[in-house]
Amino acid sequence: MKANQSVLVIGGGIAGIQASLDLANRGLKVYLVEKTPSIGGRMAQLDKTFPTMDCSICILAPKMIECFRQPNLTILTYSEVQEVSGSAGNFTVKILKKPRFINVEKCTGCGVCAQHCPVEVPNEFDMGIGVRKAIYVPFPQAVPLKYTIDEEHCLKCGLCQRMCQAEAVDLNQKPEVAHLNVDAIIVATGFELFDAQRRSEYGYGKYKNVLISLEFERLLSASGPTGGHLLRLSDGRIPKRIAFIQCVGSRSLKGGVSFCSSACCMYATKEAILIREHIPECEVYIFYNELKVFGKGYQDFVTGAQTHWGVKYIRALPGEVVQDSKTGDLTLWYEDTIENVTRSIEVDVVVLCPALIPRAANKEVGVILGLELDEHGFFKPKDPLFAPVDTNVLGVFICGYCQSPKDIPESVAEASAAAARAAEVIALSASKEVH
Amino acid sequence: MVAEPKIVAFLCNWCAYAGADLAGVSRIGYPPNIRVIRVMCSGRVDPVFVIRAFEMGADGVLVGGCHPGTCHYVSGNLEAEKRMANTKKLLKLIGLGPERLRLEWISASEGGKFAQVVTEFTEDLRKIGPNLLKAQVNVKAPIPYTKQMISDAVKKTNVQYCLECGKCSGSCPISKVNDTYSPRRVVERSLLGFEEKVLSGTDIWTCLTCFLCSERCPSDVRFPEFVRACRRMAPMEVMEELCAHRGIPMALSRMMINPKIKQDRMGWLPEGAEISKRGDMLYFVGCIPYLDVVFEDFNLELLKIPKSVVKILNKVGIKPAMLSNEKCCGHDMLWTGDLENFEKLAKKNVADFKKTRATKLVTACPECYRTLKKDYAEVLGNFDFEVLHISELLSELVDKGELKFDGGLSTKVVYHDPCRLGRHMGVYEPPRKVITSIPGVGLLEMARNRENAICCGVSSFMSCNKYSKEVRMDRLREAKATGADLLVTTCPKCQIHWKCLTSEKPPISPEMVTMEMRDLSVLVAEAMH
Amino acid sequence: MEHAEEEVPRIGVFICHCGINIGGVVNVPEVVKYAMTLPNVVYSEDNLYTCSSEGLGKIKEGIGKYNLNRVIVASCTPRTHEPLFRATCEEAGVNKYLFEMANIREHCSWAHMHEPDKATEKAKDIVRMAVAKARLLKPQDELEIEVTPSALVIGGGISGMTSALCLADQGFKVYLVEKEPELGGMLRHLHKLYPTMLNASEGLNKIVGGVKPNKNIEVWTSAVVKQVKGFIGNFDVSVQRGNGETANFRVGTIIVATGADVFEPVGMYGYKKYDNVITQFKLEQLLKDSQLKKPERVVMIQCTGAREEKGRTYCSRICCMEALKNALLVKELYPETDVYILFRDLQTYGKDYEDWHRMAQDRGVKFIKYNLEKPPEVVAGHDGKLTIDVYHALLGEQVQIESDLVILSTPLVQHEDVKELSQILKVPLGPDGFFFEAHVKLRPIDFATDGIYVCGTAHSPKNMAESVSQALGVASRAAIPMAVKRLRTEAITAMVDESLCSGCGTCVKICPYGAIEKDEKGVARVTAVVCKGCGTCGASCPEKAITMRHFTDEQVVAQALAALGRAVA
Repeated sequence: MKANQSVLVIGGGIAGIQASLDLANRGLKVYLVEKTPSIGGRMAQLDKTFPTMDCSICILAPKMIECFRQPNLTILTYSEVQEVSGSAGNFTVKILKKPRFINVEKCTGCGVCAQHCPVEVPNEFDMGIGVRKAIYVPFPQAVPLKYTIDEEHCLKCGLCQRMCQAEAVDLNQKPEVAHLNVDAIIVATGFELFDAQRRSEYGYGKYKNVLISLEFERLLSASGPTGGHLLRLSDGRIPKRIAFIQCVGSRSLKGGVSFCSSACCMYATKEAILIREHIPECEVYIFYNELKVFGKGYQDFVTGAQTHWGVKYIRALPGEVVQDSKTGDLTLWYEDTIENVTRSIEVDVVVLCPALIPRAANKEVGVILGLELDEHGFFKPKDPLFAPVDTNVLGVFICGYCQSPKDIPESVAEASAAAARAAEVIALSASKEVH
Repeated sequence: MVAEPKIVAFLCNWCAYAGADLAGVSRIGYPPNIRVIRVMCSGRVDPVFVIRAFEMGADGVLVGGCHPGTCHYVSGNLEAEKRMANTKKLLKLIGLGPERLRLEWISASEGGKFAQVVTEFTEDLRKIGPNLLKAQVNVKAPIPYTKQMISDAVKKTNVQYCLECGKCSGSCPISKVNDTYSPRRVVERSLLGFEEKVLSGTDIWTCLTCFLCSERCPSDVRFPEFVRACRRMAPMEVMEELCAHRGIPMALSRMMINPKIKQDRMGWLPEGAEISKRGDMLYFVGCIPYLDVVFEDFNLELLKIPKSVVKILNKVGIKPAMLSNEKCCGHDMLWTGDLENFEKLAKKNVADFKKTRATKLVTACPECYRTLKKDYAEVLGNFDFEVLHISELLSELVDKGELKFDGGLSTKVVYHDPCRLGRHMGVYEPPRKVITSIPGVGLLEMARNRENAICCGVSSFMSCNKYSKEVRMDRLREAKATGADLLVTTCPKCQIHWKCLTSEKPPISPEMVTMEMRDLSVLVAEAMH
Repeated sequence: MEHAEEEVPRIGVFICHCGINIGGVVNVPEVVKYAMTLPNVVYSEDNLYTCSSEGLGKIKEGIGKYNLNRVIVASCTPRTHEPLFRATCEEAGVNKYLFEMANIREHCSWAHMHEPDKATEKAKDIVRMAVAKARLLKPQDELEIEVTPSALVIGGGISGMTSALCLADQGFKVYLVEKEPELGGMLRHLHKLYPTMLNASEGLNKIVGGVKPNKNIEVWTSAVVKQVKGFIGNFDVSVQRGNGETANFRVGTIIVATGADVFEPVGMYGYKKYDNVITQFKLEQLLKDSQLKKPERVVMIQCTGAREEKGRTYCSRICCMEALKNALLVKELYPETDVYILFRDLQTYGKDYEDWHRMAQDRGVKFIKYNLEKPPEVVAGHDGKLTIDVYHALLGEQVQIESDLVILSTPLVQHEDVKELSQILKVPLGPDGFFFEAHVKLRPIDFATDGIYVCGTAHSPKNMAESVSQALGVASRAAIPMAVKRLRTEAITAMVDESLCSGCGTCVKICPYGAIEKDEKGVARVTAVVCKGCGTCGASCPEKAITMRHFTDEQVVAQALAALGRAVA
């Protein structure tokens, strides 16, 4: 059995990036597969991160660039794992590289093509609030900084091809299949958001000024669709009062998932502080049930939000959100459980914090790799106590949110843990070779 | 030996009572079967006194007042006249017969008349025979509760999973207008062992049991069912204080438990209606004939509902079986905690259903629908009938193309989801499908529809107060604001509650709105002719 | 080593918009124009995101096109991107120490968001200061060092043992040092571990059973670390046993896994005053030793000594689950016992813990929320029982509970004796007393000092699963330098001009790392690989014989003068 000294990492978010860097920096070969056109994952979509209020992309970009510059690391974006066979120490992996219709060797990332593309579609990176062209990079700090043509919306007008000075557009590009041999595999597929429309009492999808947190984060972001100017989507007005509703779809025995998403109390606090920074006159309310302040620095962060920034925390989950159809203003009904009175409050914008759930695609990944998933769709650790990043398949490891709800520092530490285990597999198979 | 009839009399202080005194002073004898209750005015006599008297076994009731024009309180006796006429209709329906109730004008100087009336009445009653309902029925007595019972109720309804998040109170329509009413606190007290406070308080009677809180509760706490279980263990006095319309409908329902009851309730059936004693499908009418009498003043034409249903059924070729002695489904009994009487009623109804050989039951009342479909099966253990709401049957017919309309109507309607049909049983689309299948009818929706619909504001005739009135008014306003001409619903109770509200004089608030209302079956029947 | 050539500086200034983070406040084009007026600046441009691959490309392009030999990037803090920009300069042929950053974001645009004019003026000043220093920068060389492929793990609890095993399995030698006579740490005292309810002793035996026979792990129990000298790749460690026995080893990396203590809430809720007020930890022991007598009614008080207004302001993460677990165990043992949990916010995070809350609700555990402003009171009741008076925050009512056993859930706290270790290693403790990592988000288990890592409850309160995860994590982090075997060190070190040194020895005494010694001539000499470049010696030398590379006196003074608007001649 030949030891390849290489590892496949599935998922290019912060966990996948950290695991890849740990392995590559110690001299092992890493293939980082990501299904969107750029690595970066959720962290790239955030404005700031709690509790340090670091600019998210600013601390992420160096890691992304490090991946790019690391000679041991091969980034395969816009690609998906199709088949896996073999076992620890010798997995054979079939990767499908979806056609970008761009020759990445030639593309300089100059952007002239996008300037001329006539098609505008909602931008996934901005959660559908902003727009992009059919030929696009998902965000300015994308790695690799290469354009991609979205086949579904491309008109095949050829204008980009004509304008591209580097002759990088190849409208006849076909999907490519790559075969890899790796010793170990790390899965880091992250999360998606619970469909907040299922909680119809909050009016998401009906009322323009009811947003979900990730949409709101894009509004707050300097790189977002409004350039970081906080405006109401219905009329462009500057909001004077914003309410956050926690636990939408979380901790529910029906109409949601039963677990706690573990990051929402904190990210709502973060967004609240950002609002107060952007617009000091804007009142911010966070409607919560149990305040999850269990992480390092969390309680101080919340205390600061309350005392220094004046964010108001109300222990109540609102019963409903009602819209004034003329103004787009919203009214929340809730029982303040501390003051023991039911009341309503008028706000300009409501931000829902939906449950963060394992991706539906995890099922497919599970089938391809033979991994067990639990009833929520998280990958099951082999032993929650002693082998939290191992799985039922030897040589396949998991880390980040797809293992269980957690924040960025925990994802990073767990990614290193998965890297350590992968390195152990390689060390073991290498030592077998010696013997 | 035939038992002697017992007469309960309500005599007004100034005339009839004095007349009775004079009979005694003058030594004019009369049968000793009468028991007199003094009231200040015959206008004081609440129909529920009469009904309860019969429920408790009176064979006859006499109401005595001043001659018209001489009432000590000007017009009290005229009110009595109206009421007693109305009550007689109820007595006719329930099978007791209007003859058992007599309203007489007896002046203070008519001692002889008094004696004569009593003698005649007693003789008549001997002929009519005894009230067979006497002493057969026990009014609900509270069960002495145990911690185990509370604990069982908690577990059955998921109450122990409460997260104290307050979403229930934030959703509850009553809580919005009565800001100290909190389903959450009722739950918390129950979990902490403060059951006595919960059971003796008014909070458990305030709940509309509309299920809006449960619909949204993340822990699936079924608060209305918990409330129902608590009501069973709660003292009767609180309930009686909070009961609206003087508890008449419930008293009538209780009387139906008596095996000797023989109602006269089919009078509304139009000429040519095709029904039978036996059939595959049974049309369960519900208490509409009684409600039509009790709420006579509202001019709701409630009897149009069963008339329309029969017409529609006949028109699509169904000859429904019907029960001439149909008993109340027991909904209000169950929801006010009278489980024992509910079970009795339920068993009687099921026995009657079986006699008709029916396999399907169809009803036009959501409360009957839920009760028959869900609660009968739960409480009785087995229930082999398929239960349909008329809207479901009609919707199926629309799908098959069998519902034909000659022409249709030209109107915009807004549909209100009744709690029992909607959130309780999940039937949202069939009524809408039926409405939109009628040519010329445009369907408008209120913002709060389907699982977010707001209760009409009363349940089981409990706790109708200023808060529930605000809820009701709010819903009517919402309906009106859609711009519809008609408010269509599938629940006769909803219509009653709204009409009751808008019939108030003076109106409760200057912004009162009224809307023309129609039951779905009546709308369909109108469009079918 | 110094480069002899003194070339004329040709400075290129790259000013970043950082989206709107800078550009939204500072008038960047104006600063670009201003930069061109400064001495020795031959080129200036603005970029949207200088750190993007596009921006980096522009720097390399500028270096080539304009023959730049000094580069300034005016953007964010050097603490994020300095290594990136330095590497970019190197790639374009400019020594990385000829690069300087001007912080016009954290120190300017972000701090003066509502005063754009003043912010722009300040940005110009900052750029001027950077130019003043850049003109005086000299290229530097870095040293390459070898990394010893062995690790020191301080602490033999679950975290220490897990990282030791993982490193050992990767082929590295590990010295596992534990101050107690046996391995195991806190695990020795625990009863059952959630979420699998494994017996702690079973888990303990399993892992100790893996550590002891491992040929790559050398275990030192009853031993403490006495001294650590050196730097990444070459730490010289002295450990000492209680009996005086000492040993020295050289390791490449150090892992801190020293765990934590349980806070003793003396003076709170009647602790130590009443016998039947105990800690959750003590309850754990009683359950483990089957010593718990049947209580009638147990009241657990969460957040005892935690989440305070001052002092221990943090949440200790594990106490809510501990309480739920123990409540369920008590109910299992004694089903008729009433259990109350008085809490503030129930920390049932993650995938499984909400289910435990429901299990407790199912078993009839009663939950009462109290607020920080009105904590419960515990006073003596009748017959040796206690009366707990608590304001039920969600009912708005005062509730009284009679109990014969009160359990206080207290936080984990840092060990009393850890200050010594933190000084030995020269690693910091945070405001909560736990070890303070290099970067809270992206370097959670590294220390700022290269080659030293931290995991487990030494870092912050956490449960067993989380400790194991972090322990595996540090095994990866520590393996990196040990696997690549050679590292380059920073060139920012001190240098003594022997001709000026008078041999006073001030610098020798003052150096916190012991990097300076007097040589055979009595003249001070700096060991560059040990020197961390702090500059304390440079500031104390009476003869001005010490030069701090890259932070020379001239450079610093030039920046100060530039700040005050005095141009440097």
